[in-house]
Amino acid sequence: MDALSNLLYGFSVGLQPVNIFFCFLGVLMGTLVGVLPGIGPVGAMSILLPVTFRMSPVSAVIMLAGIYYGSQYGGSTTSILVNIPGESASIVTCLDGYQMAKQGRAGPALGIAAFGSFIAGTCGIVGLVIFAQPLSEFGLKFGPPEFLSVVVLGLCLVTYLSSGSKIKALMTAIFGLILSCIGIDQINASPRMTFNVMQLWDGIDIVSVAMGLFGISEIIMNVEEATDTTDVLKTKIGSFFPTRSDWKKSFWPIVRGTIGGFFLGVLPGSGPTISSFGSYAVEKRLSKTPEQFGKGAVEGVAGPESANNAAAAGNFIPLLTLGIPPNAMMALLFGALLIHGMRPGPLLVKEHPDIFWGVISSMYMGNVMLLILNLPLIPIWVKVLKVPYRILFPLILLFCLIGAYSVRNDGFGVLVMLIFGIVGYLFKKFDYPGAPLLLGFILGPLFEVNLRQSLLLSKGSFLFFFSRPISAVGVSLAIILFAASILPEIFKSKKA
Amino acid sequence: MSLRDPVSGFFWLALAVFVCLISVPIGIGSFRTPGPGFLPFWAGIALGILSIAVVTMGMLRRNEAGGISQLWKGLAWRKAMAVMVSLFLYTVLMDRVGYLIVTSALLSFLFCLTRRERIWMKVGGALMTAVVSYLVFGVWLEVQLPKGMLGF
Repeated sequence: MDALSNLLYGFSVGLQPVNIFFCFLGVLMGTLVGVLPGIGPVGAMSILLPVTFRMSPVSAVIMLAGIYYGSQYGGSTTSILVNIPGESASIVTCLDGYQMAKQGRAGPALGIAAFGSFIAGTCGIVGLVIFAQPLSEFGLKFGPPEFLSVVVLGLCLVTYLSSGSKIKALMTAIFGLILSCIGIDQINASPRMTFNVMQLWDGIDIVSVAMGLFGISEIIMNVEEATDTTDVLKTKIGSFFPTRSDWKKSFWPIVRGTIGGFFLGVLPGSGPTISSFGSYAVEKRLSKTPEQFGKGAVEGVAGPESANNAAAAGNFIPLLTLGIPPNAMMALLFGALLIHGMRPGPLLVKEHPDIFWGVISSMYMGNVMLLILNLPLIPIWVKVLKVPYRILFPLILLFCLIGAYSVRNDGFGVLVMLIFGIVGYLFKKFDYPGAPLLLGFILGPLFEVNLRQSLLLSKGSFLFFFSRPISAVGVSLAIILFAASILPEIFKSKKA
Repeated sequence: MSLRDPVSGFFWLALAVFVCLISVPIGIGSFRTPGPGFLPFWAGIALGILSIAVVTMGMLRRNEAGGISQLWKGLAWRKAMAVMVSLFLYTVLMDRVGYLIVTSALLSFLFCLTRRERIWMKVGGALMTAVVSYLVFGVWLEVQLPKGMLGF
């Protein structure tokens, strides 16, 4: 009953006309971003973050959240019609979705992706309502060692779950921690690593880092590869409604994708991409006809598309209840809340219930809007796909420049963005992942304050972390994950 | 042997040493009373150890082909570099020249770099885009855009 009354309060916030408008704007832009290859939800959220400065905090978070889960819907459109994933969580949808389109079944593929996403997204939001408040009350028991252990666990999980070299992922996470130290020390209030540059006293801005690392670097890579138009499959889309047989085959993949995706989304380091890959692997394993996967199996679309949307809802739990962003996109939302004067964490529910419950209620509305938007507007998205990249990229660059300038109303933010654009570009070239850097940068202040407080409390002893049950579990898991990430890579190199 | 990992590893090692060196004057403190330089110093140490691992592992992978130059083979890297240089110039000039003029110039350059239409269409499109963006962001959304010598 408590959750119900809170949810009704949330709807009273979310159903305000201004918030409905921003929810719609967010999901529309999210779908567009998901449809367009070359810019992902992180890039879009970082570009639009400065636009939210003039909004109320509730409207800002509603819009940014809408971009996030909206992009999960939009990504499937390009995967199915063009065989190019609009964003990383839709990669596996290419495998069977495009094959279905080639067989003249683009409509049912798009339909099952949209309906599966809607069902999973709605169930994910229900899960968010059920688990969020108990978890935030649990979080109130956290002291410095507990917060530190969760942050360390989150960084180790991001490392463990990253594709490619785990050592490189850990290095970029540590680099992010170092970058977060630039500016005024939180405890002593003394400047450090500012190199006599006045603008660095306030530290480096998250907006410039994110836009550079993900937005500018992606554009430079695309310009270099000289890709222009995308070849949209010339097939009649037909009816979007899947057949009875499609629904029968998709029912359990949607259920499994929803449950698995939601719980994976709660884990720091995880997100829609990992959930979608995990769902595909599970469905192929459980299928009676695994040889059909990769040749147009509807289960290969239904499961992953459900998983990525359920994970998008699950991602909000560690952010809103513990103040730990589980991935780069949530890190940006974390930054947005900080910019608006809010501290995500166990006290957010009590101190800002309008934000907490307003965002949750807006996610319900957003899911309905997305179901309505996605299917009828597909012909428009197809036209958008045909806009040459040589016209799009200067416009995206312009948005980035305006966004970076508006953070502090000077060119320094733009300069930082361009520097991180080069950093992101080189990261891609030398196979270093960018997401751990952003997470390390965002979590750095939380990590440092809790580390120093813990060491003060324990008089320098690290065994202190094992004397408290929650931090003992967190640190132990972090050590196991660290070993599981790094040691196999080292042994593999020795064998080579 | 691929040089990519050793090269990137040495870069990280140099960065780690630099971070450790600049952390010392800030004040590392001790484990009992960590100072402002505590986290950057130990993070630098960890980064240094991992970078040595990357260098070593890169050198052990003798069979891996692909030098640094392969990363840019067959790609329009000059175009990408031209875009980055133009963006840096934009940053330097924006406060002095003003948003409208410098944005028009940048967009004209970017459209000329990649578009195939006639030059008057590219420049016209760039001007129109700059003006519309000024109206949307500067006037409607009241974002403070750089005003140059001419006040816009």
